[in-house]
Amino acid sequence: MKKKRLLMRSAILFVMVAAIGYTFFNHFSEERGLVDAGDSAPNFVLEGLEGEPIELSDLRGEGVYLNFWATYCTYCRSKMEYLQEHYEEYEEKGVRVVNVNVDETTLQVERHKQRFNLAYDLYIDRNMLVSNAYGVGVLPSVFLIDENGEVIERQVGGKTEEQVLTALDSLVPAQ
Amino acid sequence: MNKVTCECGHENPYGTYLCESCGKPLQDEGRLANMRYEGVARRSQTYKRSPVDKVWNFFSSVKVGIWIIVLLLVTSSIGTLFPQEMYIPPGESPTEYYAAEYGLAGQLYYDLGFHNLYSSWWYMLLVAALGISLVIASLDRFVPLYRALKKQRVTRHTAFMKKQRLYGEKESGEVDIDQLKTALIKRRYKVREENGNLLAEKGRFARWGPYVNHVGLIIFLIGGMLRFFPGMYLDDYVWIRDGETEVISGTDGEYFVENNQFVVEFYDEEENDILQPALMRADAPVVSNFQTSASLYKRSSEGSIGSGTELEHVKDHEIIVNDPLTFEGISLYQTDYKMNELSSFTFGVETDAEGETEALEDVVFTVDLNDPQMFYEFDNGYQIEIIEYFPNFYVNDAGEPTTENRVPDNPRIIFELFPPEADPETDQGEISLIGIQVNEELNGENDHTIRMLDADMVNVTGLVIRRDHTLPIIMVGGAIFMVGLVQGSYWHHRRIWIQQKDGKLFVAGHANKNWHALKKDLEYLNDYSDLPEIKDQLEEDKAAETEEGGTSSHVRAQQ
Repeated sequence: MKKKRLLMRSAILFVMVAAIGYTFFNHFSEERGLVDAGDSAPNFVLEGLEGEPIELSDLRGEGVYLNFWATYCTYCRSKMEYLQEHYEEYEEKGVRVVNVNVDETTLQVERHKQRFNLAYDLYIDRNMLVSNAYGVGVLPSVFLIDENGEVIERQVGGKTEEQVLTALDSLVPAQ
Repeated sequence: MNKVTCECGHENPYGTYLCESCGKPLQDEGRLANMRYEGVARRSQTYKRSPVDKVWNFFSSVKVGIWIIVLLLVTSSIGTLFPQEMYIPPGESPTEYYAAEYGLAGQLYYDLGFHNLYSSWWYMLLVAALGISLVIASLDRFVPLYRALKKQRVTRHTAFMKKQRLYGEKESGEVDIDQLKTALIKRRYKVREENGNLLAEKGRFARWGPYVNHVGLIIFLIGGMLRFFPGMYLDDYVWIRDGETEVISGTDGEYFVENNQFVVEFYDEEENDILQPALMRADAPVVSNFQTSASLYKRSSEGSIGSGTELEHVKDHEIIVNDPLTFEGISLYQTDYKMNELSSFTFGVETDAEGETEALEDVVFTVDLNDPQMFYEFDNGYQIEIIEYFPNFYVNDAGEPTTENRVPDNPRIIFELFPPEADPETDQGEISLIGIQVNEELNGENDHTIRMLDADMVNVTGLVIRRDHTLPIIMVGGAIFMVGLVQGSYWHHRRIWIQQKDGKLFVAGHANKNWHALKKDLEYLNDYSDLPEIKDQLEEDKAAETEEGGTSSHVRAQQ
């Protein structure tokens, strides 16, 4: 009788604490992105400034540093500076840097490219179709996609040069 | 656990006031019996053992429950003193806003986290504690009370009878029990008989009112809690310019909505006879209708996302206030609009020759603010290039001109103008910065001035994206809450015991409230049979107390 009561009470308390715990977890934990570590990266096709297309599935076998950015985002600017310095070196190692602008005017993106002497390709995500499919909210948002098309990590916010390099290193495909 | 054995032989748990079987008072407490919860032992109050029991007992306490409610009330009302963070003007930093606007109190408000009260961890914890307290306190009281009332016996101990508030006894003459029974049934009492003793009972279900009420409240809280569960609740916003298509957030980039046209209609102050006085009182024109002619699209499952995306038309709907576009549990409501967002500028060029300005008629061009061209070339050899475009211009901390976002609210354009004789490849043109009410020459005196001739504007509709699967649950909870309230407020539980023992007739009555009605019922019975004189022992006590100067014994008030 006493044992039964203890069991009953423990069960009721457990259910309530579990429900409340889950609520708190949902509310306070950093939200999991729509696309996040462990997911397979949704395929997309985008066009560069000259109209040259890029399709994610064509990059199988290479690591992809998928960077969503805007001209008005200060953290993006410094990040893209680091990428500018290192992207060629990593391209040889099999890592592609794909910079996707979140639907600004072609004029702005082109001028930005000229102003900061960016040598790599810039793609514009018209109507934010790709950004929405990837659940991009805050800029910069980076998705590290391995050679098998699986997302290893989702990085949000400004990063130091060291952190960017670590991220790029993690993308080098295993030989 | 110590059992208390009554003289009738029944074993009662420790903490019992009235024997569960015969009703004999086990603890001598004043003149009247403690009828609260039928005198049964509330288990939680009587023993503590494991940590689980300790937690259980803590939340079982009404005192604790009331403290939680008081804390919630006080903090909730403090949260309304100043606006919550989401209601401060957009673009304001909360760190400075509260101190600047409300002084020291505002600073304190912000530092203590009241600016985000309703989603703060400790406020949510208080609500959670209230929920736990409701469940445990109700269970702890409902279960023993239900059992006690369900298995209550007709024949009670004489001491039990004597300790009831309404009580009377006399030498028993001839009492017609059957007649009393009929009379009681006539008054819609449920009557049970046992060896010439009667128990008449009415309105027992009123006793469940508080528990039904609590069940409603708990369902209500569960509904609120479910808002934090994935897929249950969504509250977002989308701005769409006329003719544009935007994604609907919360649909994983799958659904899109197009704004075919947004219209606002105003009441005509002259025409509307009935409304005229009201319209005259309003300072601004009064809107009679907002309407978005919208189309819903779904991303085609074929092809990849991006420039290859194809949208399939799903349906059209005229969204007006309270008539949302609804699909898959998501509704788009008309909530806001922005008139006259800039969409394009038309420019002309003037030459300044010897103090006279002359407009060049052939050099007129339009810049689409949402997709400007880079070069504009004219037949007469003029060329104009846009060097920089800032849709929402501002100067950042580093002193550089830049844009805040991609909305053309404050567009500035830097033009470089090349007259026919200049070569854009080698020569530098005349550079000027142009925006609304702004026209600056950036490299010395220019021979030409670019003038803004016209500006085109579009309307923008603001839609709320909402999915709320918790609303039905919250409504059901609220309805049950009200049922419980009515059940406990408009009915009351009354009981009458009539017993014969040792040649005496005993009558006792108990009600959980509205004693007056019970007294009237007893008077009514007197018409059928000769009952002893019924006294209200509580009032007798009170009278005695007043005579003695209010110092005498303590008497428990009864529920």
